[in-house]
Amino acid sequence: MEAYLLNLGVLVSIYAILAVTLNFIMGYAGIFSLAHAVFFGVGAYVGAQMAMHVSASLFVTIPAAMVVAALLSLALALPALRVRGEYFVAASLGLQMLAITVFSEWKGATGGIGGLVGIPAVRMFGEDIYRPAAFFPLAAAVAVLVLIVTRLLVHSSFGRSLTAIRDSESAAESFGKNIALIKTISVVVSAALAAVAGVLYANYLSFINVESFTLNTSVLVMAMVIIGGTGTALGPVVGAALLLILPGLLSYLWFLPQTEIGAIQQIIYGLGMAVLMIFRPGGLVGRSAGARKRRKRDALKAAAGQSEARKMEGAK
Amino acid sequence: MRARVWAATAAVCMLAGGAFGKDVEIGAVFPMSGTNAIYGDVFKSGADLAAEHINADHMLKEPLKILYEDSQALPQPAVVAMTKLVEVKQVPYVLSAFTGVSKAISTLAQRSQTVAVNGGGVGPDLAKLGDYFWNVIPLANLEVRAMVPYLAKHGMKKVALVYVDDPLGQSILDELNANLPKVDGKLVAELSVPTSTQNFSGIAAKVRASGADAVYIASYGAQQIQIAKQLRDNGVKAQLASYSGFSTPDALKLPQAEGLLYTTQAVNYKAGDKVTQRFLADYQKAHDGKKPSAYIVNYYNAVLLFGILAQKLEEAGKPITGANLLAERKATKSFDLVGGTVSFQDNGTLLAPIQVNKIVDGAGQPQETVDIN
Repeated sequence: MEAYLLNLGVLVSIYAILAVTLNFIMGYAGIFSLAHAVFFGVGAYVGAQMAMHVSASLFVTIPAAMVVAALLSLALALPALRVRGEYFVAASLGLQMLAITVFSEWKGATGGIGGLVGIPAVRMFGEDIYRPAAFFPLAAAVAVLVLIVTRLLVHSSFGRSLTAIRDSESAAESFGKNIALIKTISVVVSAALAAVAGVLYANYLSFINVESFTLNTSVLVMAMVIIGGTGTALGPVVGAALLLILPGLLSYLWFLPQTEIGAIQQIIYGLGMAVLMIFRPGGLVGRSAGARKRRKRDALKAAAGQSEARKMEGAK
Repeated sequence: MRARVWAATAAVCMLAGGAFGKDVEIGAVFPMSGTNAIYGDVFKSGADLAAEHINADHMLKEPLKILYEDSQALPQPAVVAMTKLVEVKQVPYVLSAFTGVSKAISTLAQRSQTVAVNGGGVGPDLAKLGDYFWNVIPLANLEVRAMVPYLAKHGMKKVALVYVDDPLGQSILDELNANLPKVDGKLVAELSVPTSTQNFSGIAAKVRASGADAVYIASYGAQQIQIAKQLRDNGVKAQLASYSGFSTPDALKLPQAEGLLYTTQAVNYKAGDKVTQRFLADYQKAHDGKKPSAYIVNYYNAVLLFGILAQKLEEAGKPITGANLLAERKATKSFDLVGGTVSFQDNGTLLAPIQVNKIVDGAGQPQETVDIN
């Protein structure tokens, strides 16, 4: 049982990295990307190839994966970020489709549809780390590190520029912010950190193929962010944990037939998302609808009070 | 407060449910939801029937129970399911299906010394997944070796191949290239298609232009049905041929697939052996006289194989572990399974005769059996 829970813990940590990095661009910069699984995949394939042909040390695989994912995201972000909002969503969807074809067809690098088998375990301090009990602390530590890095960035002047762009691109531009540069850097950082999750995933599963990096994965990661709470620190982690642990938990309810669990899971997801969007649009960790309304009312009151005061001053 | 205590107790009981009991448990990682759930149902019917027979015969000291976990036919859910079966349920034997799933769980099987048995995927790369990964199904490369002579014998020497460019499709391409010249045949067109493609009118035009006598389809799932349908709808009159992946109920029922030739593991239902006759009779009784597909036979055989090996271990007073099951399989030269006596190659893959079938009125009719060496 312990190993099973630790195994889930590893997957939660890996997906938490993905959700946190997507939240970095989605929650703070307002860039809705449907191509996050692409950088997850790039990280996994680069990490796997490095582990199989160069070294299985994370000190080799992670930097290599980050560099490749960053360069790739740079090449794609520069033209794609010229478009705003929903147009970027469409552009990222195109990128996701393109990447799936490359992952499926570039046999030399990705093993094609058959994928890569026999990826060596992570090698650290002369030990192979593959058992859930050993891999979980490693994956959790990396997830925490990624969370810290993104928090530091969010609370820096760069992070404030991101939120300014999210709230109003035109206003941020009028204040002299270089929108294209800031957006590009945020996408590059997000992609490079997502690649770290890919490396861990490839090493842990020791097998990867295109099925793990499809649009479904991108949508799943986006759901983790939305359910947990967009633009919050811990929301994506909560979302990842919830969406990965729920299927496992359902499979333990012996009165549910195994053949129906998949359908029940989909119903719960659908209902959960709908209920959440109605009552807690900010996600589980984000502000509730009531709190938002109160905040809005307070803000309106404050504004009304100020305008009243100005009128009184004018009357004097 | 009291309500909370009751709720907590109920939750613990719910989670602990099924953990008690003395059953001999094996696992199965099948697609139970999603687009491939249809396969899970098919595989399950064969496995369940074998467990029923093993229990009816009291082959094992305790009843055999199969624990099903949903893989959704995807690698990651499969690894989660396999971890649960290996670490929590501690089963020594797990049934697997689908190439991606099989590859994903093979490392865990190897590391935990748990036998994983494939009865559905036929990609030849499945023969290279280590000692603890077995295939109770002849792989696709063997199937092509049976189909090519059959086609040649019936005057179809010019063959066009429509294939998904994956290890399965690649191996069929290699086998056609290697075997067609042996019968004075020729591969006149090799047309690869991406997995997601659903429009094949262009492919049909190329097939027509190639002048092929037969078209070999190497795909799976919904796509293979679309290929067969659209080839016929677009005027391709050549003989259609495929491998065991085509033996699913929806593919067999496709009107455009009428007359299509496909290979499967040879199952001689007319063989007088007790195992085959009992399987056939009980399956048909439970399914309104319907004939079982090759997949059903394979998963029946996979569970029966466990029953035979576990029985031997119990008789020898050895525990039923993956390592002991492997040693026992290696020590046993042949097994009486459905369809006859079969043996395993050193790489853990079944060596069995191949049968060429023809779809007649929505069902497979055996045409010829070919021994493969």
